[in-house]
Amino acid sequence: MPDLHQTKGAPIMTKSTWTPSGDFEIKDFVLDGGTPQPSLIAPNQFPKIDAQELAEVGVLFDSPQRAGTFVVQDFHTICSQTQAEGLEVLPIAEALRKYDWLAEKYAWKLIDPDTNKITRFCAEQEVPQGYFIRVEAGAKVEFPYQAALYQSHANIAQAIHNIVIVEDDAELTLITGCATRHEISSGVHLAVSEQFIGKRARFTNTMVHSWGPKVSVRPHSATIVDEDGIFESNYVSLRPAADIRSNPITWLNGDRASARYYSVILGSTGSHILSGGEVYLNGEDTSAELAHRAICTGGQIIQTGLLTGSNRCRAHIDCSGMILDPGKKGFIESTPGVRSEHPEAMMSHEASIGKIAPEQVEYLQSRGIEERQAISMIIRGFLNADIAGLGEELDARIDQIAEMSGHGEA
Amino acid sequence: MKNILEIQDLNVNVNGEEILHHINMEVPEGEVHALFGPNGSGKTSLMMTIMGFSGYKITSGKIIFDGEDVTDLDLTERARRGIAVAQQRPPTIKGVKLRQVLDYAYAQDPAIEDELKQLITDNKLDKFLDRDINDGLSGGEIRRVELLQLLATRPKFAMLDEPDSGIDIEALELIGDMAKRLYSVDISRPAFRRSGLIITHTGQILESVYADKAHVMMDGTVEGCGNAQIVLDTICDAGYSQCLTCIKRKVPQS
Repeated sequence: MPDLHQTKGAPIMTKSTWTPSGDFEIKDFVLDGGTPQPSLIAPNQFPKIDAQELAEVGVLFDSPQRAGTFVVQDFHTICSQTQAEGLEVLPIAEALRKYDWLAEKYAWKLIDPDTNKITRFCAEQEVPQGYFIRVEAGAKVEFPYQAALYQSHANIAQAIHNIVIVEDDAELTLITGCATRHEISSGVHLAVSEQFIGKRARFTNTMVHSWGPKVSVRPHSATIVDEDGIFESNYVSLRPAADIRSNPITWLNGDRASARYYSVILGSTGSHILSGGEVYLNGEDTSAELAHRAICTGGQIIQTGLLTGSNRCRAHIDCSGMILDPGKKGFIESTPGVRSEHPEAMMSHEASIGKIAPEQVEYLQSRGIEERQAISMIIRGFLNADIAGLGEELDARIDQIAEMSGHGEA
Repeated sequence: MKNILEIQDLNVNVNGEEILHHINMEVPEGEVHALFGPNGSGKTSLMMTIMGFSGYKITSGKIIFDGEDVTDLDLTERARRGIAVAQQRPPTIKGVKLRQVLDYAYAQDPAIEDELKQLITDNKLDKFLDRDINDGLSGGEIRRVELLQLLATRPKFAMLDEPDSGIDIEALELIGDMAKRLYSVDISRPAFRRSGLIITHTGQILESVYADKAHVMMDGTVEGCGNAQIVLDTICDAGYSQCLTCIKRKVPQS
């Protein structure tokens, strides 16, 4: 097992790294009162209503093009299946019991459990929930693995701890779909994800969120990448929660390691979303790209990011926003940041916020395309969520967002 | 012969300022006319007005297209009735690929798809299909992509805004070939070729596309018209003012 827990260079994040959690008290939500673990079920045993909800966030129960399925529903893991060689997936509690080295070398090594009250809450769970995923050295998992973090009851506090280890020369695409049942409007989702990417390994994590209108979401993600490793993180938020604050952090510690973050967010009225990202380019010839795309139809969106180059490296951060209708209080605020600590760190950033350019719409109309369709095409192109492996349902949902945004209905 | 386009005493405002005054023009079906005039004379504004772009407000007058008054129709409706324009400086549209526009055209007229795919291959336009529309293209490439879209949409009346300005010789030849194809026989009406209007300063495009007539604009109005080659030669020899003097006197110039 490679010592991927060694974090040379940047320190493990401290409390000051994260934006302070707040605005809700965990105790005000329904906590797991020690309800018994239900039996695990197969994907085809899921109720249709839940299957449909999760399909919208890229979790497809009937697709042959998935390497396996993992589902946490409310307080319990209810599905944990794998059908790919070289890929091991276990509920995190089971993995911690099985492997001593997991707690010794990996769990809570990238994120300090005392960072804030959310991380403490997750660390204090008697039976932690979440997935442990390990891809063996050299294994290239052909199809994406899908994990669902799902709330089917109202007003619960769901605590999650995930650990992913992609060993040297291994490859994995993970689709993490997070959702509430449509009738569920409130709750909190508190998550910690620690990811270790080995030499020449590749890990793509696409998270698709579709939360109820009064759900508060606090994901904490930390990733360390070794030599020539590649990490891609995609984030798509379709039905934004009332309150999402996300600031994934990556350390590119190995030489020539690279990271790419891409986020697509729809901020409708009542939502408040902070979408950040930090990358520390510590190794030589590392590279990072961070791209945020946001559409505001009344919500409040803050796009941030900080790329820090402490070695010869290249990094670019791009925040783009489109305001279709700010309503009474909506806005997009973009503050891309670059920091250089080395003369050969080539860092750049750009930010732009605007409306749909009428001349672009009219140009497409002059080809016979109807105005609303032209607007939808432009929005779809702006979102550019051409993220592989998500399935037709998600593509259809993104098209729907573009269509609705174009019609002023989002 | 029926007119494909009639402009009757048209006055147009842009940003509150009248920039086109009492425009009268007729283009018979099956004819291609040239439009000359110094910079700022209103040529592009006239094309954009005919097409129906919103920034060009018609304050009085009419546009009759193929026998129908289209003055109050919007851009999409005019395009669907067969008016099209290849702009000199079209906008860049990030995230929207050329292929999407062509696919839309193919959906309206599936018969065109195979023919156009061959044209795309023959003219090495494949590399533009999956690029954002007009993003990072040279002047010549923009003209070719514009012409490709017009060939795909098969308009009844195709307008070209300075297809030959600032273009190198090799690109000009490609553009000329595409323009010649655009204004060749209209398959749906074999007795005619496609009608159109071409803005040019140099006249180079007219070596590929025969112009039946030329109109000359000055200061926002069409001052006159005449034989395209003669008008062009006079402009080249003696300038716009002399050309207009001759047109108004209706004296042919050698």
